[in-house]
Amino acid sequence: MWETIIIQPMTNLLLWIYDALGHGPHTFGLAIILFTVAIRAITWPLNASQVKGAQAMQELQNDKEWQEIQKKYAKDREKLAQEQMRVYKEKGINPFASCLPTLIQFPIIIGLYQSIIRALSATPFDMLKLARTAYPFQNVEGIIPLNSTFLWMDLSRPESIPVFGFALPTLAIIVALTTYVQSKLTMPTSTNPNDQSAQMSGMMSIYMPLLLGWFALTFASGISVYFITSNVLGIVQYAATGRANWSSLIPGGNKNKKSPAKK
Amino acid sequence: MNTKRLLLISLIALGALALSACSGAPVANNWYGLAADAEHAYVSGGSFVYAVDLKNGSEAWRYPAEADNKIVFYANPVLTADGQLLVGSAGTTHSFVSLDPATGRENWVETFGQGTWLASPLVLNETIFAPNTDGFLYIRNLNGKEAADPIKLGGALWSAPTTDGTLLYVASLDHNVHVIDPARGVIVESVNLGGAVPSSPAVGANGAYVGSFASTVEFVQPDGSHEIVANAGNWVWASPVVDGETLYYADLDGGIHSLDLASGKQNWDGVQPDGPIVANLLLAGDQLYAATESGSFFALDRDGKVVWEKTLDKAIYTPPVAAGDLILVSPYQADIALAAYDVTGKQAWTFTPAK
Repeated sequence: MWETIIIQPMTNLLLWIYDALGHGPHTFGLAIILFTVAIRAITWPLNASQVKGAQAMQELQNDKEWQEIQKKYAKDREKLAQEQMRVYKEKGINPFASCLPTLIQFPIIIGLYQSIIRALSATPFDMLKLARTAYPFQNVEGIIPLNSTFLWMDLSRPESIPVFGFALPTLAIIVALTTYVQSKLTMPTSTNPNDQSAQMSGMMSIYMPLLLGWFALTFASGISVYFITSNVLGIVQYAATGRANWSSLIPGGNKNKKSPAKK
Repeated sequence: MNTKRLLLISLIALGALALSACSGAPVANNWYGLAADAEHAYVSGGSFVYAVDLKNGSEAWRYPAEADNKIVFYANPVLTADGQLLVGSAGTTHSFVSLDPATGRENWVETFGQGTWLASPLVLNETIFAPNTDGFLYIRNLNGKEAADPIKLGGALWSAPTTDGTLLYVASLDHNVHVIDPARGVIVESVNLGGAVPSSPAVGANGAYVGSFASTVEFVQPDGSHEIVANAGNWVWASPVVDGETLYYADLDGGIHSLDLASGKQNWDGVQPDGPIVANLLLAGDQLYAATESGSFFALDRDGKVVWEKTLDKAIYTPPVAAGDLILVSPYQADIALAAYDVTGKQAWTFTPAK
């Protein structure tokens, strides 16, 4: 099931792009970038709904009526939950809209990792599996073995650059930075000290860069290329909405910024 | 800690766990390597190289004594005339090891090459020619020290070089077969066959027969000229076998073919036992042995008639090996690492490594 609906299509898409690009040096890295663009395009509506959902949740947290409801039912959690669902319904908020794209990321990341390893076929057994994975229309004989070189990297292995005898994990740092920038930019501001969604966003903006940075440090660098491309596209997509909160990149940069609801 | 926060952390942890299950730096996974002398069978069985007593299938020794997750062995071990057993690691440590085949004692260990050792080395004129997945052919003396600069061939090298005594033929995944003059350490010719070449060429009269993923078998001559001698139904993964004027080859469709090299005609039609063939064919005595991915092991006569058949239930990718009057087979990811049959198909013993 996983093999048929995730690994096989992903691997074939990578192979097809790689072949279309001329299957020379560096083209597998370009194939991963184009693959990421395709994934981003497919999940564009989802990402847009995530942005909308996050904004709606944020506006709700700064909503006077909702704040009063929170105060009123502070000691009655059951009633508060009922009121919360009512308000969500009234305002057309889907509380899961902001989580879905993040959840969808995980199978994509896992599938992409497996597809990259499958496509690069480090051993005869892997190659045999690749032969079975490729769709009949693929020019497999002509393009394998895939060239795993991209810029200075071997995409099948974790990346590092030797600097003064120390292996500097450049990509892991870039992954962590771009993840931090993306989460900080998209993180809505709040003046409400009880705002749980702002607290969660704050946690996300710390944990996610660390988590993805660790992935980049540990796994094949092809995954890092995906992370960086995806993050950059996410930043661009969000910036295009005109809602990017650039001041939040600087520590303390949010303090003087008024929330949209207070305008 | 509130429920949402707990849920978020759990989701992140779950994601991390799921990815961790994919493992970090790719761990090599492959079928076992196999070799034999008059006393022992030698199995490159992942974490260990096992020596198995040919008399009864018992373990004579294993190397190393304790598993090291940076070292895995899959290449066919090679015995040298001066009494060494050579095998390289396909793990993250690219160690190349020389062992005493009688005791398993380590003679020397050298670490060289940027890639892994999936290919066996060839020993010629007291020199080790070791192909690495980094695309270099390393040239070492019998003490493991560098004897000459490595030769850059390009593409991953997965199979042992073959020689006619003067020249080397080295197959590469970059679609080329490289003809090398070992005395001068230079590439004489590189011949593109239009598809990756995973297995060793088979030396014939004034050239070598090479199967490739282009689904052909080509005859490559030292001057770089080459011609297709056979078109197969699918990739030709297994090394062809030359026996006088007859060429035996198999393909991933599971077809086993016998070609009369003098006339260019097939000696038989439609021998297709029961599954794709990756393991090299073995010609021993009057019988041709073939192992399939479906887990069957066949003995055929020279007319392509099945003499006997054994089912091992697990795929067989490791080339079978003849050892005295025994034929050795190693199934992939099976309970047993090795099975021994006599020429009549009677099972002599099996070997299962102790935990």
